[in-house]
This record gives sequence, C-alpha cells and structure tokens, in this order.
Amino acid sequence: MEQAWLLPAIPAGAFVVLALLNGYLPRRGDFIAIGAIAASFVLFFAVAIDLLDQLPGELEHNTSGFDWLTINGIQLLGQTNDFVLRIGFRVDQLTLVMLAVVTFIGLMVQVYSLGYMKGEVRYGWYYAVLSLFLASMLTLVLADNFLLLYIVWEGVGICSFLLIGHYFERRSAAEAAKKAFVTTRLGDVALLIGIILLWREAGTFDMSEIFHMAEAGEFDQGYLTMATLFLFGGAAGKSAQFPFHVWLPDAMEGPTPVSALIHAATMVVAGVYLVARVMPLFEASYDGALYVVLAIGLITTFISAFMGLVMTDIKRVVAYSTLNSLGLMMVALGFGEAGVGAAMLYLFSHAFFKALLFLACGSVIHATEKQEVTALGGLGRKMPITRATFLVGAMAMAGLVPLSGFFAKDEILVAAEHFSYAPFILILATLPITAMYMVRVYLLTFSGEPKDAHAHEHAHESAPLMSWPLVLLAGLAAVAGLVVFEPIGKAIGLESGFLGFVESVLVEEVHAFEFNWPVAILSSLLVGGGLGAGVMIWGGEAAPATAAAARFPAVHRLLLNKFYVDAFYQWAINNVVLGFAKVIAFFDRAVVNDTGVNGSGEVTNGLGFLLKFQQTGKLPNYALAMVLGVAVLAIVGFSVKG
Amino acid sequence: METAAEQIPLEHFLFAAGVLFSIGVYGVLSRRNAVLILMSVELMLNAVAVNFVAFAVYTDGALFRGLIFAVFVIIIAAAEVGLALGIILRVFRNRATANVDEVSQLKW
Repeated sequence: MEQAWLLPAIPAGAFVVLALLNGYLPRRGDFIAIGAIAASFVLFFAVAIDLLDQLPGELEHNTSGFDWLTINGIQLLGQTNDFVLRIGFRVDQLTLVMLAVVTFIGLMVQVYSLGYMKGEVRYGWYYAVLSLFLASMLTLVLADNFLLLYIVWEGVGICSFLLIGHYFERRSAAEAAKKAFVTTRLGDVALLIGIILLWREAGTFDMSEIFHMAEAGEFDQGYLTMATLFLFGGAAGKSAQFPFHVWLPDAMEGPTPVSALIHAATMVVAGVYLVARVMPLFEASYDGALYVVLAIGLITTFISAFMGLVMTDIKRVVAYSTLNSLGLMMVALGFGEAGVGAAMLYLFSHAFFKALLFLACGSVIHATEKQEVTALGGLGRKMPITRATFLVGAMAMAGLVPLSGFFAKDEILVAAEHFSYAPFILILATLPITAMYMVRVYLLTFSGEPKDAHAHEHAHESAPLMSWPLVLLAGLAAVAGLVVFEPIGKAIGLESGFLGFVESVLVEEVHAFEFNWPVAILSSLLVGGGLGAGVMIWGGEAAPATAAAARFPAVHRLLLNKFYVDAFYQWAINNVVLGFAKVIAFFDRAVVNDTGVNGSGEVTNGLGFLLKFQQTGKLPNYALAMVLGVAVLAIVGFSVKG
Repeated sequence: METAAEQIPLEHFLFAAGVLFSIGVYGVLSRRNAVLILMSVELMLNAVAVNFVAFAVYTDGALFRGLIFAVFVIIIAAAEVGLALGIILRVFRNRATANVDEVSQLKW
C-alpha cells in the first residue's frame, strides 16, 4: 500500500521522457508510454491484493505520502492555522474501483492508439499527453486531501484541452478545446471555492479529518451545505452535467481513443467519483444538497436522451449517451449513501461499454474516414468484429439482459424505488429513449444500404491492434455487471457483491444483495419496447423517422439545436460578457490609456515646448542668467539669515 | 614693527577685490569677443584670489590655508585658460570668428 504512489509516478515519468525525447526515440517512444501504464496496471493488482487482505475490518496503513510544504501560523479571520500541503495517497474501496477502470482502460486505449494514430501528426506528443493524463487521473483518485485533488483536477483538465485540440490546425478542434476548457473551468472555480470554504472552517485539507468533523457535526449545517454545493459545482463541470453539458459533445473533435479514455471512461466520471468521495459531507448537509444533485442528474439524463435521437455524427450520439449515463450516475448519488454502490457499479460497467462504443466508432471512422450516419450504412459485412463489438456495447448501454448495463441501471432503479417514486418513473421513462437511439446509430451505421459508395468501397476491418482491445472490452462489457452477485464477487476476491464492497467504505453494515425481479422485468420490458420501436423506425429505409421529422419540424429543430442551450450561451457571451468587456475596454482606453498614460506624456511634452525657448544658444544670456541667479541667491541667503 | 597688513585695514583689500570682481563681471556680460570674455573671467578669479590672501593674513596667519587656496586658484585658472583657448581656436578655425553671438547653434 505504501507503494501506491508508484501508480501515478510511472506514467508521470513516461510523460517527462516522452515530452523531452520523443523525437530521438525509435517509434517516437510509444512503447515507453504503454510500458508505463502496463506497469501501473500490474501494480494495481498488488495494491488491490493488499487492500482486500485487510477487508473486512478497519483499514490500516491505507494512506501514505509526505508533507511537501509547511507554513506555520497563517492568520485568517482571527484564527491561526498551520498550512500543510501534503502529497498524500489513500487507498480504499472507491479508489480501487477507479484504479481498476483507469489503468485497464488506459492500457486498452494506448494499445488501440498504436493502430489508430499510426502516422498521425504529433504522434509522440500524443502519447506524452496521454501519459500525463493517466498520471493526473491516478493521482486524482488516490489523493487524500483536497488541495492535491484540486491540483490534479486541473491537470486532467489541461490534458483534456491538449488532446481535444490535438488537431489544432483545424479551427473547429481548437474552438472545441477552448470551449471544453473554459466551461469546465467555471466548475473548477466553484470547486476551489468549496475547498477554501471547507479549509476556512476545518483548518485542514485532509479529507478523512474533514469527513470526521462533518459526521461529528462540527460544521454549521448551512455553511457546510454551501461548501458542499460548491464542490458539486466542480463535479458538475467535470462530469458535464446540465448546465455545463455543452462542452462534452464538442469534445468529440479530439482523436477517438481520447474520447474513449477521457470523455467516456475516466475524466468525465471524476465528478461522479468526487461526489461519491465527499458523500459524508452531503449526508451532513441539509437534504437540499442531495436534491440538487438529483435534479441536475435528472435534467442531464433527460435532455441528453432526446438529443441523442437526432444527432447524425456517430461519435456525437455516443457522446450524448455518455451525458445520459453521467446523468444517471448523478441521479444515483442524489439518493445519498444508498445510491453510492449503484453509481459506482454504473461507473464501473459504463467505463467498459462506453470505451468500447467509442473505440468501435473509431474503428468505423478509421476505415471510412466518415463519421456522419448520412455517409455510412451497410458496414456490417465489411467490418464484422467492429459490428459485433459495437452491438454488444450498444445493447449494454441500452440495458439489455444480461449485459453489464442492465445490472448497473437496475441497481439505480432499485435505489430510486427505495427513495421515491418520482425519480423512479422518470428514469424508467428515459430507458426506451436510450434503447432507441442506440439501435438507431447501430442500424444507420452497420445495416441498410451504403449511402456513400466510395466510403463503403474503401472500408475494411481494422488491424488486430485495434480489434483486440475491442474484443476484450466487449467481453468485459458483457460480463462486468455480474459482479453484483455475491458468489462472483467472492470469486474475484471481494468479501461480498460489488455493491456491498463499495458501500462498506461509507457504512458499517451493508445489506446483502437481492435481485429485484419486478424492477428487472419492468425495465426489461421498457428496454425491449425501445429496441423494438427503434428497429421499426430506423430499420430498412428509416421511413418512419423521416416522416416523424417532417410531421413535427419544430420538435426536430429543437432537438437538432440542442434545446438552444448552446445558442443561448453564445447569445449570453456575445451580449452580456462582451457587453461588459466593452465597458471595461472603454474605461481602459479613455481613462487608463488616454488620460493616465498618454496624458502624463502630453503634459511633459507641452511644458518642454514652453521651456525650450529659454535656450537661446547665446553665451551672454547664460552668463547673465548665472550672475542674476547668484545675486538672487545671495539676497535670499542674506535675508533669510537675517 | 608693524607689518603692511596691520597698517592697511582688511576692508581695503575687500573693496579692491570687489571692484576687480565687478569689472570682471561687467566684462563677461558686455564683451562679445571670446578672448576678452576669457580675460574678464581671469579678473574675477584674481579678485577671489586676493580675497583669499587677505583673509588668510588677517585671520589665520599661521596656517596658510587661504594662501594654499590662492595657489590652487592660480593653477586651475592656468589650466582653464589652456582648455578655453583651445576651444576658441577650434571655433575660430571652423567659423573664422571669435564672436560668441555668432556661435549660437547649441540650442533646441
């Protein structure tokens, strides 16, 4: 456990080597990046075995690290605090789930990139940033204090920015990178404010100390609620929750493996992880804090499900399905401690099937160089492996029995049923929509007639380096959900099912897992209905879809324009932000520049113009001035002296 | 035996020096020929030297400090004349005149 710091340290070392030397290494050093994450993946097992040995029971020696910076006696609001900046790592059940996801998906994506990014520009730099991202992400999940968490929180943000903008020569990619960075930045500021608020009261950044204080009721409840909601603001920004959701679909401008790793499996779930991590704070706050999480999650789930129905870019459809999933995870967390297990189960299985979906999209894009469904179609026969694996991912996303997504969403539904019927029904309502758009994107891409003969002609199955990660992920996406069952959980080393394993980090007594037949049957019926409807609407010529779009043009336009949220933001930026900027710019021009800077120059210049005429160049004038000056000084001197 | 200094009061020396200085000032202000201005400056310097010597004898006879200063003034005057005449010669070479009114280019 003391060696947990090696997990992020190895990719960080790979980043340094690659960033400086990739031009001098054979193959631009890609093997170093892959070796680093493979080493982290192997080390993950050592950490996992070490942790599982201690369970069940009190975790001991599960933290390690060192004090990086100590400043004594900071005066703040009449209190004196010692400031300690600690590089500290902590391993517990939540961390372990995240470590498994990050190291495994990281490894898969890097192997896949060998094929996908072959011959692309800045190949070495791509691997360098990927390594930096993995180092930051692993530190993020291991961090045992808020300040370190914030530092690497920004670290994953900058890596996301760099990778979305990998093809920055393309204007849309540069714009998307900027949009992602600025939008998440708004959330990051909220996170920083929340962390500072907590530190102001607690005098420490240490997570477990703050959690203990919160559980002991040492915070004012209103104050804690405010701080916790600020933390949630950070989580909502990173996890692309409404109203910050606009950056994620645009982030698809990055290379597809990046979308799989950062914008599906790892970074965007950092917000979910953060909320799960600080659940003790939510529990100690007013109930309203959790209702906010629940409401934001539901809004995100709903709007993204509808937008997924009409998008034509296959990567964007998958991106909207990611928003849909992230919303669901937030909904589960909105149920409080009872929903953490379900949220983490969804996170765990989502990582596999969503990374799979993105990588399969990447395979299609790599083969056809097209990503609009209007230019695809009929690819199933040409790309059987991609087709089969995409189908597994899509059905897991839709929640078909017995794939991983089925168990994940059912656990959320069970938690919702215990909580209240309103969210339960709302979640059920999104299920058929999710199933429909997943069927839609599958049918439009892989079946039917090819819409672009040239692209179809050109298409071929991807190389083994790309198809093997797909197959591996498809296998896991199919079976990962089974870990909820106790025998299977025990078989992989947990002392109970997955839910009990995760919840034991928060509560002493975990309830045993029971399969809820009514909920399972109800959700399966809805998913089946959605799938059937999807096949009917978009199967063959997709005539019903065209007819529906023609019948309800207003609805179609509303969805195509993403509920006008992006347009509203653009309007707000143009009018409010730029309007305010114009006022500031006017002040800068008129007061600071014209009066302050140019003004003083002009005064000096004018005085100089007036004074220069006393310089006649004639020697007697100067001599006379000297004599008169001495005379005046003498008179003044004598009269002053008396 | 009385020295000459004791027979003549200090004020006489000061008056003579003052007259000499005033003549020098008048010369500097009224002459236009650079050489004459230089000579007037010499008059002013000599007036100062006379003052030094007079004060030295009347107030500080044993220490010679004023006398030493007078010697400095003479030496520096010699150096200054050398320098100034050099400048005037260069100007005369360039412009064929030593009239300071005609040398008025050094201004804005």
